[in-house]
Amino acid sequence: MTSVNRSGFPAAIGVFAIAATALATGALASDNKIALIPGGPHPYFAPWEQAAADAQKDFDIAAVDFKVPAEWKLNLQTELLESLAAQGYSAFGIFPGDSVGINSTVTELQSAGLPSAALAGCAQDPTDMAFCLGTDVYNSAYIGTKELIKAMGGKGNIVHLAGLLVDPNTTLRVKAVETAVEETNGEVTLLQTVADTDAQEAADQKISALLAAQKDEIGGMIATGYIPSVVASKLLRTLGDKRIKFIGIDDDQIVLKAIEDGFVAGTMAQNPYGQGYIGAYALDLLASGDCTMKEDAPWIETPQTARFIDSGTMVINLDNIASYKDDLKAITADIQGKFKDTYMTCS
Amino acid sequence: MSETTGPASPVRNRRPFLGGASGQVGLLAIVAIFWFIFSTLAPGFLSSFNLYALGRSLAVDIVIGFSQMVVLATGGMNLAVGSIGVCAVMAAGFLLQDLGLPISVGFAGALLLGGALGWLNGFAIVKTGVNAFIITLASASLFLGAMLILTKAVPYNGLPPEIGAFGRARLFGIVSPLLIIAIAIGAALVVLYRFTALGRQILAAGANPRAAAMSGVPVDRVIVISHVLSGMLAAAAGLMVVTRLGAAMPATGGEEWLLPSFLGPVLGGTLLSGGSVAVIGTMIGAALVTTIRSGLLVLQIGNFWLQLFLGLILLFAVLVDRYRSVYAERRSVGVKS
Repeated sequence: MTSVNRSGFPAAIGVFAIAATALATGALASDNKIALIPGGPHPYFAPWEQAAADAQKDFDIAAVDFKVPAEWKLNLQTELLESLAAQGYSAFGIFPGDSVGINSTVTELQSAGLPSAALAGCAQDPTDMAFCLGTDVYNSAYIGTKELIKAMGGKGNIVHLAGLLVDPNTTLRVKAVETAVEETNGEVTLLQTVADTDAQEAADQKISALLAAQKDEIGGMIATGYIPSVVASKLLRTLGDKRIKFIGIDDDQIVLKAIEDGFVAGTMAQNPYGQGYIGAYALDLLASGDCTMKEDAPWIETPQTARFIDSGTMVINLDNIASYKDDLKAITADIQGKFKDTYMTCS
Repeated sequence: MSETTGPASPVRNRRPFLGGASGQVGLLAIVAIFWFIFSTLAPGFLSSFNLYALGRSLAVDIVIGFSQMVVLATGGMNLAVGSIGVCAVMAAGFLLQDLGLPISVGFAGALLLGGALGWLNGFAIVKTGVNAFIITLASASLFLGAMLILTKAVPYNGLPPEIGAFGRARLFGIVSPLLIIAIAIGAALVVLYRFTALGRQILAAGANPRAAAMSGVPVDRVIVISHVLSGMLAAAAGLMVVTRLGAAMPATGGEEWLLPSFLGPVLGGTLLSGGSVAVIGTMIGAALVTTIRSGLLVLQIGNFWLQLFLGLILLFAVLVDRYRSVYAERRSVGVKS
């Protein structure tokens, strides 16, 4: 026994060393440091924090951090990016503070060997962003309007509460709503498109004035921005109006509670968690240097970029309000599982 | 060159602590201490990437500081530097992208527009006699509003690629050409204030307008000229941002420039009451602000703290300015007696 023990000691050390090495390499399959950076503070991006933590754990990445500029100012975002590059971060998932202005910084990062991807919102082509992973805003607004028309019984007058007019995505959303309305052959009329409602004060004023002046004429409303969605949900609850059907966007607790209580017919879920999670995964592969983006991947072309990937969208209503998060996770897992083969070429 | 420049008058006797070369050496020492602290705590601070980015930000901050300094010299101020800057930015975008003019012509046009807007400010101030604070506060909104109406806040992103390439260029690996331009502008301002009659007239008008007028200085004219210069410098800062972004964006400038426009000159030794400028001091003051901003970011302390720090620095600078004024007054009395 003793001799066996003695002769086995060096072997045990060898096994331990191999195991320790394996553990060490296995624990950090990637030594990349990835940052997920929104344009500024906004509740939409809150799930990115969890997405970063999950991606770090699930894909064995050295670090995936969620970093928020203090304000929605491009220069604060670019300064943050530059400082993170100086700290050794190797790839960046960015919601562009400005779709045009971000490109210069992205080009500099790219020339320093640091890839970037646009998450949740795209940069304007020509850009060095590897890809743009976000909500197909046209599809989301189209499906949402269809859902609204269904909730209204297929006829009536609707109002579109839209975001910033200068945002190209607003143009797409307006077009999607108009298309869905046209398809009713006159059964549904678009009364008005109320734009520039993506700020708290503007949304309060414009939607309150709208309801005060035209409440009886309106059969339904659709919001395609986070803030008007929340504001309209609150106002409909305050008015106690369940006649006006309303489809919002995103899953703010105020909107979800209004769905449960019958003041809101539904809301279009986006997939911010999936954008952060899949974005970190893809950026890790790019930063490793083993993978590049395919030129001939099934990219969706949008007015902003020729390299768009839909991160998924779905309607949340009373039927699925309890399970929609699982549904979004399933969508995320599906996109992530196919991402490498579909969009990348890896050595 | 590095000391505070004052007019050729009894006020020239002002050489208070932190106001002249000794003050600027002290400021430079503070910058050096911050560099030591940041580079010790965060090695990334001295990375070539960060040094380059810091130098480029510094270049813009310096020129923004100059645009305020030249009107502080007359005892006035220009709250519209950011608005003039963004007007110049969008004018350059219009001239280059919509009209397809050569880069030199487009940039010259933007500089001229900056000068013209500055002239409007100066003209309004001297003709109405209303304080520069009120006139430039109003014109800041006026210029910004007009720019938004005319451009519909749509950025120009189809500028010639050479502009973006210049903004991303590196000299010796870490130096931005924008920094060289900022230093060249500083050298030109030193020449103006130190070696030309116009420079001395500006400082004399700022130190004591009544005495200057009695000495034959065309006070109104030098005030207007200073505002024209301020407008052109604000436009130059805006054009630097255009090269930095490779695009002309309506979000450039605006209120964001207000704090750095005062911090650089006041920290550097330019008197808020006029009659004295510190060109090198403004550059060092801007360096302090840029260093702190970059250092806090690299240390991951974050932008939320940055505003607090900048506010404290401005408060400190204003207190030092107050100290300088009182000191100068006492010295002046002492000289007279």
